[in-house]
Amino acid sequence: MALTGRAGLLAALAAIVVLLAPEPGLVVPAAALVLATLMAADLLLAGAVRGLRFQRDGERRVRLGQSAAIGLVVDNPGPRRVRGVLRDAWQPSAGAAPRRVPLDVPARERRRLVTTLTPTRRGDREAVAVTVRSVGPLGLAARQRTFHVPWTVRVLPPFLSRRHLPARLARLRELDGRHPALVRGQGTEFDSLREYVVGDDVRSIDWRASARRSDVVVRTWRPERDRRVLIVLDTGRTSAGRVGVAPVSVAPVGGDRSSGWPRLDWSMDAALLLAALAARAGDRVDFLAYDRAVRAQVSGASRTELLSSLVDAMAPIEAELVEADAAGMVAAVLSRARRRCLVVLLTDLNAAAMEEGLLPVLPSLSSRHMVVVASVADPRVAGMAAGRGTAEAVYDAAAAERLRGERREITAVLRRHGVEVVDALPEDVAPALADAYLALKATGRL
Amino acid sequence: MTATTSGRARQTAWVTLLVVLVLVTAVLPLLLTGGQSGGRTLDPADTSLNGSGALARLLEAHGVEVVRVETPGAAVAAAGPQTLLLVTEASFLNRDAARRIAEAPGDRLVAGSVPHLDVLASGVRRQGPVRARSRAPECALREAARAGDAFTGGMSFAGPPGATGCYPAGDGHALVRYTADGHTVTVLGDASFMTNLRLAEDGNAALALNLAGAQPKLVWLAEPDDPGEAGDPGAGAEGQARSLGDLMPGGVRWAVLQLAVAVALAALWRGRRLGPVVVERLPVVVRAAETVEGRGRLYRSRRARDRAALALRAAAADRLAPRLGLPRTATAEEVAVAAAARAGLDPEPVLALLCGPPPGDDTALVALAAHLDTLERQVRDS
Repeated sequence: MALTGRAGLLAALAAIVVLLAPEPGLVVPAAALVLATLMAADLLLAGAVRGLRFQRDGERRVRLGQSAAIGLVVDNPGPRRVRGVLRDAWQPSAGAAPRRVPLDVPARERRRLVTTLTPTRRGDREAVAVTVRSVGPLGLAARQRTFHVPWTVRVLPPFLSRRHLPARLARLRELDGRHPALVRGQGTEFDSLREYVVGDDVRSIDWRASARRSDVVVRTWRPERDRRVLIVLDTGRTSAGRVGVAPVSVAPVGGDRSSGWPRLDWSMDAALLLAALAARAGDRVDFLAYDRAVRAQVSGASRTELLSSLVDAMAPIEAELVEADAAGMVAAVLSRARRRCLVVLLTDLNAAAMEEGLLPVLPSLSSRHMVVVASVADPRVAGMAAGRGTAEAVYDAAAAERLRGERREITAVLRRHGVEVVDALPEDVAPALADAYLALKATGRL
Repeated sequence: MTATTSGRARQTAWVTLLVVLVLVTAVLPLLLTGGQSGGRTLDPADTSLNGSGALARLLEAHGVEVVRVETPGAAVAAAGPQTLLLVTEASFLNRDAARRIAEAPGDRLVAGSVPHLDVLASGVRRQGPVRARSRAPECALREAARAGDAFTGGMSFAGPPGATGCYPAGDGHALVRYTADGHTVTVLGDASFMTNLRLAEDGNAALALNLAGAQPKLVWLAEPDDPGEAGDPGAGAEGQARSLGDLMPGGVRWAVLQLAVAVALAALWRGRRLGPVVVERLPVVVRAAETVEGRGRLYRSRRARDRAALALRAAAADRLAPRLGLPRTATAEEVAVAAAARAGLDPEPVLALLCGPPPGDDTALVALAAHLDTLERQVRDS
């Protein structure tokens, strides 16, 4: 049960009557009695909420930054009209709107209400409760009841870096030799023989074949195909740190963008671009998220389903506030990758964590696989390193330079182990990683 | 968006309405009472138009002792067999005080619309309001007959058997005199003939002198400055409590109770939540740069110029080495010598800049950072 503002207003008006009445001592209890009677009658006449039935429909997944419409069908099997207000409560970061909707369902009818979700972060968002308040005909009192109508919407990573994909695919076609620019395929794998056309590189002429065909024939090459790419996402404590500025399209309306976006989300963005590119290049892509245990994995997905299963696997991952277990991660990678493959490790170049964690176990990985370490650099550190003028700024600059020195050092150590390192600012890490992959492919190092 | 905008507009309208209402309630009484402000009505010490200072002076000139009192206790104490108690203002009195005044010895003159008339002049009944104007006495009462026409009215009274009525008005008389228990009690419907404004008109002065100067001593009960302290000093706290309760009409207390009920209902209305509070596990918000900022502050608070200078020099040397064609493993001295040669500088200061002693104070550290920047720029541009 609930009261409305009218009940209070009525009581306040009764106070005026009491003030003017000749026998105020009698009016007060009389007013209370009348009010109580009216409220009881209102409660009795209000539409029953106990029997209401609910049904949801709508979207199950939505990209971060976009909106999803979730329908809620309210079925009133009772004999009286249910009139009042309904609140469809979701977790706050689901961004559900409107917060409360007016409800008017005639007897034995149903109505469909729509809640629009504009999530502000990745993950699974759940509908918590549906509360109905059915107001009586006098508008004095209301019946209220809360129902549990489950629904889950999975908020997928936004894959903002997909705007870099066309340019990278054009580069890939160039490598393939399918590009209109008649560039000889730069790959290392022999593809086919074809007739020479003006403009072909004379060095690619196959003289033996030309002799047989009494025509000039060139060899074409193409990059290796059907290589395996294993993307490993470090979800340990270093991935929780927020860097850069949250992209406009995914920042909550009126929210604070300057707190940045977690490294984990930037890394996912880079992983998605790489996966999309590698799948188009004909490579097989597997995915593994690991901190002290396997958090998510995708293996053996077909090319067409790869991206959707990847975003699905990534969506619920949150950074765990524990130190990542590098040895366990390497073991997990080795158990999944029996053949030589490209292992892309998305982590942070944190000197202390690397020296104790990854470096001791790196040789066992880099000896059998091609390893790329990609890391998101912090633009704030670069900004601090440029600070001059006051003692405070210079002390901050010294601290930033010290961190950058450590990163350079660890990068050098990794390169000595034959590991490719991509260290780029948040907005650049996805294209930089894609370029590193294309460079590896062009030189046939996969 | 539109919902919130219209909501805000509605809120503004409500606030405006409330402010206007408050202003109206504050200003209206001022406007209504503005004409009457100034002066204390029928006070023997007041010389404004509403006061009665002139009558008091006249009485004193005629040898009557005028005693101005503000509390019923003082009035009773001052009263004696040869005194006249004049009551013109009694709205600050409660029934108990009125009763004690009624029991005081001596004669009594009650003028104006005085409450507790049934106590102060028992036996006199109100017949109904009449207009105050100049009237003829038309009676045998010496004081009135000799004064002639006077400004009377206000209320007409009917006296007990044996009472004398003068200045007929409506169904009764504007002046009634009777005697009970040896006291002579005179009741007048309107006291404005005693004010400074009206004293000079008609026979007002004569009537006032005749009535008020009947005894050698006149005890004049005037309105106190602060009605809150008007009770009897002897009554103490009880008097104060009574005065507040007495000023409130009986319905107010019940109305307050009813308002409390309304507030309670409103609280129930606002307090009932539409469904449960929704909780959510949120990820931590920790900026990755916090550790670096913390280290910077630590350097600053410890004045760690040596470490800060070391970091800045190492970073500069790291950036210079590839430009000068040196391997990453080159020492700072090698970098300094090569940089000086490239930029055409004296090697000594460059050596001091890149591998000299740590700066002595913060100013030197700031200067060092600036010099390192200059050196890098010179090498880059050369």
